[in-house]
This record gives sequence, C-alpha cells and structure tokens, in this order.
Amino acid sequence: MRRLSDASIRARNASAWLVPDGQDRTNHRLRADMRRFADDDEVDLVVVGCGAGGATVLQRLARAGCTVVALDAGPFWDPDLDWVSDERGSHRIYWTEPRVISGETPVPLGSNNSGRGVGGSMVHFAGYTPRFHPSDFRTATDDGVGADWPIGYADLKPYYEDIESELPVAGEPWPWGDPHTYPHHAHRLGGNGETFLRAAWAAGIEARVGPVAIPNGRFGNRQHCIYRGFCLQGCKVNAKASPLITHVPDALAHGAEVRAGCMVTRVCVDERTGRATGVEYLRNGVAHVQRARMVAVAGYSIETPRLLLLSASRRFPDGLCNDFGQVGRYLMVQGAPQTSGRFEREVRMYKAPPPEASSEQFYETDPTKPYQRGFSLQTVSPLPITYSEHVTAQGHWGAVLREYMRDYNHWAVFGALCEFLPQYRNSVTLADVEDRHGLPVANFSYSQCDNDEQLVKAAAQTMEEMMRAAGATEVMTIQRYAHLVGGCRMAADERSGVVDADQRTFAVPNLFITDGSVLPTQGSANPALTIMALAARFADRLLATSRGGTPTGARR
Amino acid sequence: MPFRPPSLRGVTPQGRGRYPGYDVLDELKRQDDVTTGMILARLSPNDQLVFFTAAEQAVATPLVDQILGQDGEPKVPVLPMIDARLASGETDGYVYEGMPDDAEAWRRSLAALDADARERFGRGFGELDWADQGDLVAAVQQTEGAWHDLPASRVWSLWTRYACAEFYAHPWAWNEIGFGGPAYPRGYKSTGIDKRENWEVADAAPTDPVTAGQRIEQARAEHERNTRVRPGRQGPPEGNDPPVQGQDS
Repeated sequence: MRRLSDASIRARNASAWLVPDGQDRTNHRLRADMRRFADDDEVDLVVVGCGAGGATVLQRLARAGCTVVALDAGPFWDPDLDWVSDERGSHRIYWTEPRVISGETPVPLGSNNSGRGVGGSMVHFAGYTPRFHPSDFRTATDDGVGADWPIGYADLKPYYEDIESELPVAGEPWPWGDPHTYPHHAHRLGGNGETFLRAAWAAGIEARVGPVAIPNGRFGNRQHCIYRGFCLQGCKVNAKASPLITHVPDALAHGAEVRAGCMVTRVCVDERTGRATGVEYLRNGVAHVQRARMVAVAGYSIETPRLLLLSASRRFPDGLCNDFGQVGRYLMVQGAPQTSGRFEREVRMYKAPPPEASSEQFYETDPTKPYQRGFSLQTVSPLPITYSEHVTAQGHWGAVLREYMRDYNHWAVFGALCEFLPQYRNSVTLADVEDRHGLPVANFSYSQCDNDEQLVKAAAQTMEEMMRAAGATEVMTIQRYAHLVGGCRMAADERSGVVDADQRTFAVPNLFITDGSVLPTQGSANPALTIMALAARFADRLLATSRGGTPTGARR
Repeated sequence: MPFRPPSLRGVTPQGRGRYPGYDVLDELKRQDDVTTGMILARLSPNDQLVFFTAAEQAVATPLVDQILGQDGEPKVPVLPMIDARLASGETDGYVYEGMPDDAEAWRRSLAALDADARERFGRGFGELDWADQGDLVAAVQQTEGAWHDLPASRVWSLWTRYACAEFYAHPWAWNEIGFGGPAYPRGYKSTGIDKRENWEVADAAPTDPVTAGQRIEQARAEHERNTRVRPGRQGPPEGNDPPVQGQDS
C-alpha cells in the first residue's frame, strides 16, 4: 500500500492526536466544547447511529465543512469510567433491548454481534480487519451463488487503504485476495496465537499474524497495547480502534455534534415532495424532531431495517423504501464454529488480544469441493465465562464442568468464519412484542441452506485437524455465529435492493444507508473494515455529487 | 487491596483448585478503581432475594449448586447474583420465538422441576438429598424435545448460561482455574506458551500424577456416583478416551 507518514494521516484525520496524551482516555474538553445544534436547525446531514458506518460519515462530512449531527441511542462512552477489565461487568456495551429470534436455526443476538453507544459494535469487536477479496463482489457471476455488487473491489480499494492507515492496522504482508501490506508491523503473540501458527504449519496450512486494528507501538496520543486480552470488553487503553477514538474526535474538532442517548423512532418524509425532512427521536423520554437536508441511517443490520419498517406512511404502507419487499431481507451472519484443543503446556489464552493470527487459504471457491465459497480461520481466545459455554455445549455439568474449567489454561481455541449465502427468507420483520418505547421490536429469522451447513462442517473438520496436528490430546467443537450484514442491500435496481451503488435509497432521493446492512455478500471476512471503507466512499461520492453548495473536501 | 483477613486469602470454591497459593485479589492493587469495585462487590452480594419467591428459592438454590458442582463450603454465592440479574431485567438481548422471557422461563422451569420431584419422590426438590436432585437435573439435561411445556434444550441453556456467568465472574473461581482476572492498567508482559508473569502460579497438576483425561474421568465417576446418572448426552466408554464430540443444541 501507499506508505503514509503519521503527519499525512493527521492532516486528514487527527483523531489519534485529539485523545489525551497521558493517563486520561477521554478528551473531556473536546466534548464539553462540542458544537450543539437546535432541533430547528436544518443541518446538512443527520446520521442515525454512531458506529463504524455513522461515525466515519460524520468525520468525513464535518471535515468538508458540512453541518452534521449523529444521534445514538446509547451513551457517549468514557473508557475510564464506563468500561471495566471484566467479562461479566461489560454487559452494557451490548445492545440488549428485546428482540425476537426465529427460523430453523435462530441466531442469538446481544453480546456476540450487537453494539450500543458511540463507537457501535467496534467497541466490542475483536479487532480483526481483513479486506474482502475481489471475488466477493461477483459471486453470482463467478460461483452461481449469492449476489453481484453494483461496485467492484477496485472501487473500494483506495478507501481500504485510507481506513487501514487511520485505524491503523497491524499485520504481516497479506498474500490472499488482493495481496497487500499493512501500515504497522505484526504484533507479538500469546499462547493461543503461537499454537495457531504451529498448528497451521503442522497441518500444511498458510497462516499470517494479523490483521488487527491495534497499532503496534504508540499512534498519536494513543497508548501501546498492553496485551491484557479484554478487547471484547471495550479497550480501556485506547489501543484497539473503534470510531470513538478513530473518527469521533476529529469530527467534533470540525464542528460535528454527537448527541447520545437519543433513540430515533422514525424517519420523516414529506408526502408532497417525497423527500426526507429529518428524524423523530426520544431523548430522556421526550419526543423531538431534528430537521435535516439529508438523512443517513447507520443503525446496523437489525435496527436499520426496523427503523425503515417503523417509518411506514400512506405513501409507504409496508415500510419506508419497501415498495419491492426488499427492506430487512438477505440478512446474513457468518457460521462461526469454534474448536478447542487440549495441550500439556500452559496456553493461558487470556493473555494477549484474542485476535492474533488468521488464514484465508480456504476463502475462495474450491472446485474440488461440493460447496461454493469458503471460510477463514482465526484465533479466538474466550475468557472463562465464554469458555464455559464450550464445555456446557458438550453436555458437561456439575463436577465434570468444574474439572474441564480447572483445565482452562491448557486449552487453545480457534474459530472459523464461514460465508453463509444471502437468502430472501433470512429477514427482519416487526414482532408483536413492544420495547419500553412502545415500538414493535425486531423479529430476526434465520435458516441455513445446504451450502452453509457444508461449509461449517468443512471448517470444523479443518480446525480439528489443525489441533490434532499440533498435538492436542482432546478437541471440542461448538457451533456459533458471528457478525451481521445485509438487510438493506445495495443493488443495481430497486427490485433487488434498497440502495444504489452510492448508498442512496431508490425510493427517497435524500435518504442514505451507510452501515453494514448494505452489503450484498459477506465473504468470510470480519466486516468492520469494509463497513468503514464503504462509509468513506459514500462520503466522497456525496461530496463530489452534491449540488447544494457543499464544498467538496475529497482528496481525490 | 486495603485489608483482607488471612482466612479470605487464596479461597477457591469447595477448596478445589490446581494453583496453590494463587489469589487473583492480590493483584487488585494494580487495577483501576471501577473494575476493582465491581469485583470486590461480588464477594458479598445482597442476599435479600427480591425476584425468587421462597418456594422458587427452595428449588433454585440446589439446582444451581448441582449445575456448578458446589457440593460444599466455601460456595460462590451464585443465587443472589442470578436473583439480582432477573430482578433488574438484564437479558442477553434476545428471546426465542415461542419462549417466554428469561424471568418467566426461570419461574416456569423451577415449578416444573419441583413438580418432577413431587411426582417421582413425593417431596419438593429442595427436600431431596444431593443424589436424588442430581438424578432429576440429569433427566432434564437428557430430555430431547419438550419438557413440561418448554423446550428442554432451551431451559438447559438458560440455566447453565445464568449459573456459569455468575460463577466464572467470581474471583474464587478464578483462583480455582488460574485465570489472571482484570488487567488494566497493569497488562501482561510475558505472553506465549508456558510463559508466566512473576505473580502467576504454575499449574500444580498439569500432567502428573494423573493425566488430564484421567482427572476428567475421575470427576465423571464422582459425578456419576453423586447423581447416579451418567452425565453428558453421550458419555464416553470407560477408560481414558476423549469424550465424544457434542453438538450445540
């Protein structure tokens, strides 16, 4: 990739220099001095949700001189006060408002895939930031499954590079997909990462360290990773990237407002003009309307479709932008089986970040296999409570559960991400249960197809072979799911998706969707980097095409 | 750590563990205040239950002890923490279609377990001895499909998720398994296989005199003796074979 100096990164995103240099993790002055808009101010853009997609858009547009407000249902986190170095105590960083799950293979939500507050799910994501492969953008044409994107890898590549430098990403040179390098050198490993590399080598599988969104060394005022292993509980160190520290500070410094504790309940659309005019939201139980020239929804794959469905009107009786029944459809999760192996030596996987090393050797379609597409392999290092689920999933309890758990320090755990295919039936609809706001909650239905099941089986078998090759004396595999994408996918036309290639909804010209719900396929990569890259591209395209007198601050 | 009497040093549940002398609380002096306060509060939870009725408490207390194998003192006080969680409505963020919410599922499953006890032994679950209780718990774990009017596998997942979340959040359980506990701002400097910080204690029984497989077989035999029923959906054959792969239900 292009080598970017810290100075050149700082010149376009100074976030890492706007967090305090010292023991405090939050720039309280920056937040206290934040510009504040009135509900009646017609801002250029109101963004719903301040996670990977929303915060990136906020920063890009604020930089370009636009007036922008992001509304987020959760808190404006202060890592010093709100986050703990503890598994059980981290409950509130997850979105745990009620949701119904259904289908043949229901997918549990909450701690595994749903974030809350400013920074979104990246506050608790492990930290893996792989790119998608070029093949991911045309699986219908090449593999006869999934969908083709209306854009290609080349459209996203410059934005991948930008975001990788801003997070920044550490890892070894990457041989898979579009081969590339990373701005930061790979991290040193813990016991689980060492085991993974050894197992891959013994099984004849290529593996690499990274890619993780944790700078190797200090970056700006952000501190060096201390290898404490609580990446999934929110990084109290400011080492692991999340928009809270990678994009929000720069957005605030350029006049954006982040309004936390605001649950958006409806997108307002003028029946006469057919244009969005703002959003209704609840703050401390009081209803407000924020007026805006443009609206971007970035509530992720469950809440974004839910908000559109809740915004039904006379013109859109089945939900906003849902003329062709596309809202809430083609939602995807990745199959994420995890295999643990027992070793005589102490692994102590709680030390060092859970995201350490990975392999994309099985990412692409293998013509010798009966299934299409593939899976990736990664380290995962569950802390005790999560690891107890591995043991209870085998049917163990009582004295046997305790004995397995006493053996915790001798176990290594690998995880796979299997590319589940987009299906119309996998959907978000409104349930007949209401949340505390009196709004119907989402019903998330999921059923796997044959190809999905075959991939999970193949991935689990590969991981068990790796464990045995490394000398594991016992292995256990459990079934899990990871990540959410899709639900309002981008497509070439309004009959097959909700937004166009520039993430503009087909139905409302000034309404955009800028989060993971626009992904038509998911590869077997963790989605955070791609969501941010898409948001950065969206901002660039909007600024380049805006005719409203907005300055174009795009670099290229 | 301001003050801790000697009797509260290095405590493990039921005195079991493989890391002699290890006490995760010794390191709290190098942790942040917010985390430290949260962890210390777990040593002495409010035992005035508000969610469970007395009748439900009579079933839930031994049920949770059975699931966690807490057959003696000192015990991690798990039930008060489950009670507090249910009283505050803290869920995992989802409910299966057709299942009641977590609070209602707890009440109904406890009533069902008590009904099983009365039907089979003519007494309430809380009045049974340890082995009879284990028998009934094992029966639920091995039920396929519906149990009373609830899916058995979902009930089992509810019980184990709630019980393990509180038990393995407790510093005594961390002492038992040799987990490092909180780690900010201290962090780790010795990462890698067989690497230890100067305050970490080596596993006193990594292999000898019995292998891990033998230890688990011993636990299994003891568990069986105590509960009379073979644990696990698919028990392994005698000997030192690894357990058969289970599938997530």
